[in-house]
Amino acid sequence: MTKIAPKFSDAVGAFVIPSEPYYRAVGDEIAVYEAAYRERLPVMLKGPTGCGKTRFLEHMAWRLRRPLITIAASEDMTAADLVGRYLLLSGETAWRDGPLTLAVREGAICYIDEIVEARQDTTVAIHPLTDARRLLPLEKRNEQIAAHPDFQLTISYNPGYQSAVKDLKESTKQRFVAIDFGFPAPEVEAEIVEKESGADAKLARLLVLVAERSRNLRGHGLEEGASTRMLIHAGRLARQGLPLKAAIESAVVLPLTDEDELRGALREAVDACLP
Amino acid sequence: MSALRGPRSVADLAARLKGRGALETAIAAAGRRAGETGDWVEGADALLHAHVGEVALLAFLSAVDNSDGFGAVGIALADICRETNARMALAAIEAWRRLGRPGWWPALTRLAREAPESFSLGLNQAGAALAASDESGFANFVAVGLKAAGSDPTRRRRFFALEDPLARRVLSGGDTDGFAANERHLVAFVTALLGRVPFLRPFPAPAGRAPARRVSIAEGVILFPDSYPGVRAEATKRLYQAAAAHAAAHRMFGASRWKVGSLKPLQIALIGLLEDARVEALAMLRFPGLRRLWTPFHTARPEGGTAPSLMARMARALFEPGFPDSHGFVVKARQLFGEADLTDPSAMRPIGGLIGNDLGQMRVQFNARDWTIEPAYRDDNLGLWDFEGEPPQSSEAIDLMIDAARVRQEEDDGRAEPSAATQSVGRARPMPAAPDEPFVLARYPEWDRAHGVERLDWTCVRATPPKTGDAYRIDALLDRAPDLRRRVHRLARSARAGRLTRLRRQAEGHDLDVDALVEDAVRVATGDTPDGRVYRANAPRLRDLATVALIDVSESTGEANVLEMERLAVSLLGDALDATHDPIALLAFASDGRERVGLTRVKDFDEPFGPAARSRLAGLEAGLSTRLGAALRHAGAELKRRRASRRLILVMTDAEPSDIDVTDPLDLVEDAARAIARLKDGGVDVLGVVMGEGAAHRATRIFGRSGYVTVARPSELPTRFADLYFRLSRR
Repeated sequence: MTKIAPKFSDAVGAFVIPSEPYYRAVGDEIAVYEAAYRERLPVMLKGPTGCGKTRFLEHMAWRLRRPLITIAASEDMTAADLVGRYLLLSGETAWRDGPLTLAVREGAICYIDEIVEARQDTTVAIHPLTDARRLLPLEKRNEQIAAHPDFQLTISYNPGYQSAVKDLKESTKQRFVAIDFGFPAPEVEAEIVEKESGADAKLARLLVLVAERSRNLRGHGLEEGASTRMLIHAGRLARQGLPLKAAIESAVVLPLTDEDELRGALREAVDACLP
Repeated sequence: MSALRGPRSVADLAARLKGRGALETAIAAAGRRAGETGDWVEGADALLHAHVGEVALLAFLSAVDNSDGFGAVGIALADICRETNARMALAAIEAWRRLGRPGWWPALTRLAREAPESFSLGLNQAGAALAASDESGFANFVAVGLKAAGSDPTRRRRFFALEDPLARRVLSGGDTDGFAANERHLVAFVTALLGRVPFLRPFPAPAGRAPARRVSIAEGVILFPDSYPGVRAEATKRLYQAAAAHAAAHRMFGASRWKVGSLKPLQIALIGLLEDARVEALAMLRFPGLRRLWTPFHTARPEGGTAPSLMARMARALFEPGFPDSHGFVVKARQLFGEADLTDPSAMRPIGGLIGNDLGQMRVQFNARDWTIEPAYRDDNLGLWDFEGEPPQSSEAIDLMIDAARVRQEEDDGRAEPSAATQSVGRARPMPAAPDEPFVLARYPEWDRAHGVERLDWTCVRATPPKTGDAYRIDALLDRAPDLRRRVHRLARSARAGRLTRLRRQAEGHDLDVDALVEDAVRVATGDTPDGRVYRANAPRLRDLATVALIDVSESTGEANVLEMERLAVSLLGDALDATHDPIALLAFASDGRERVGLTRVKDFDEPFGPAARSRLAGLEAGLSTRLGAALRHAGAELKRRRASRRLILVMTDAEPSDIDVTDPLDLVEDAARAIARLKDGGVDVLGVVMGEGAAHRATRIFGRSGYVTVARPSELPTRFADLYFRLSRR
């Protein structure tokens, strides 16, 4: 199929994804997202870190030919950081749109990464955008922006462990269509590692075996197991000629934990996987 | 004794010993060396009175020189002789002359007085104890032994013969390379390999037998030797790891247990070795690196024709394809093993039967009792067999079976106590350990008030399986008190605060507050006075609270409705904190001696306070005693694993610590107070909710003046909780 790039304003032109990002579908996630997009339903991507949520969305933005505006949520983020604020420009106040407002006006896909990191009072700013109103109120300007017909909101959310402390409000959660991302099946994950890191098939399978060891320790000392991203890093290091053991140590073992005993045990379990 | 004291000088002594040849000469010689009136005279006199015998007396006299202290030595020896016999006194003199430790006599006389039957055993360990530390180390060893074994001579003998792991631990001054030091590491290692958390436990030494030298797998528990004697410290870690990996291989690829049937002990042993080789081969297919781990332990050489060496050779040949061994038996085993379908768990049994017959025909002697599996990382393979079904045919197999049963039984070494006293408590199950025998969760020290030291690993906390009750009872309890419930809810909500709160419009901070800056500029522009506070800052606030509620369910809580009040308090708390998502764990505790401090998990941190937890709460019954210190230490250990900025232990109790093996309740009161002090040092708050009136005195001693509230009536609960939260936020 030939794609004719639609025209975007300068403001969002930089957010257009020019070429197809590699994404290996694991289930029906592409179909679900496309259907949700056609209905302009907000989507929530759930899953552990490094399992391909962001890559998936990049792929979808490219596929749907929409600019993608990504916001990394943090505890310090305020509603103004999302929506926009008045700034001082040569002695006068001037309104400056935030990334969310930009996406709403220009019809981009707005991706708020790790939304649980944001405080709950910040999160509610997106509520009017996620129901039938599709509005963004700008209280400071006494203005309401109706969302561009192509605008879509996607958030990512890692349920993680301390879900009791850091969790989305029920009123937020229920506004989204959810797609669950786990780690793919070993063969699929090996395929992804192979493709992304340039490692050979045997090494990719071995790296997945290593990852399983660390994922077994999830909740038993480790907060999270090794992500697919980490395996790709290890594969790349190995491609640079680093001995495999050292590559895994640097890309997987060391970043995962600082605790001596656990690191020792993980290292030994990794060693058991190596030929 | 002073009445008996006769001679005060050498002359008097010599007069009494006139005509006794060697002794007379020795007295004279000692007098010349040490002076005629030194205190040694008193010591020699005491020995004479105690009838230690000529040899001992001569040994004493020949040791005497002109330094002080021989009087005390003589008197101590005389005491030892009176409490035990002359032979012991002589042994003590000889050991003393060999080791030359003047300071050990008080401990030694105490041992003679309180455990005469174990005196020589204790004396034998003195060298090791003194080598590890000093006289105080030996005194500690004796004190722990006497305290641990109490009035049971059999247990005392076990202790001083070092058959009790506690004794070995005390003697080695805590262990640095034994199982305990490796445990966490091994759990993580096996979890990573297997994908589920294994139960690893130390293998308690069976009574009157040598400590375990091999891993044993029983009922899903992997039992590890306390230590591997004779293995260098740096190698021990690898050995534990190899053993853990081997046990994991059994778990990954093993099958259900086989019936022993009519197999001979030799065949049983061989099938075990073949099965080891099978599961290892499969494990190495998946985890090739395990070969590196196991290889160094296969040290058998292709020589030696006894059964054990042939078996070790076979083990190595099956493990290591390149191992050159041309012995017919090994070749045949290798060939049959090579042809078998390794994925079939039942494939090894016929092979073992076959080569077992071959080995039998070679007329090599095999004694199952003396045989220990080699290489050392392997387990004893008793877990492969089901001895229960049919009675084994041979006496050795019966021995094996008994050992296997003992493995399970000794899982709980508190059971080794044969006295009827433990049964009279009314435990539901008879002596042989059942699969649902409570698991050892951890061991904790206890404060020994009399000696002013902390006794290592003194108490043993075990998981008591919860009984379930009617969950609706808890619902009804809450429904009946809607007012209380609402108030506690409100309280919990109001106490709920953020971890880091962002403060805006601050006079100083780490970042500019752009909104405040703009506003200020607008003010300047419109002629107003600017505010000047244009920064953002973060401030910590109380929140992120992890709580353990410890519920005392000892016998005494059955009186005066204490348990019912605790139940209501816990229900209110669980209900309220569930709504605010504050993690709270509910643990009930009751003890039955220091070896069995039972802990029942009513609700875990991340579990909702739902029907399951409610039914467990309803199922709590009052019974047994209160060993508060151990329960507190365990609650602290559980909290330490939580990531929370505030950690709190709430103790619902009647503040009456007691236990069957503690004569003075004050011991436990003081121990609990110390446990709390330690927890506070570690950043854990401990607050008591003391049920009933009149416990204020003890409660103050345990929790400190402001560390508790008393609740006399259920209606007081919300006010008291409010009080608690207030105290909590004030700190």
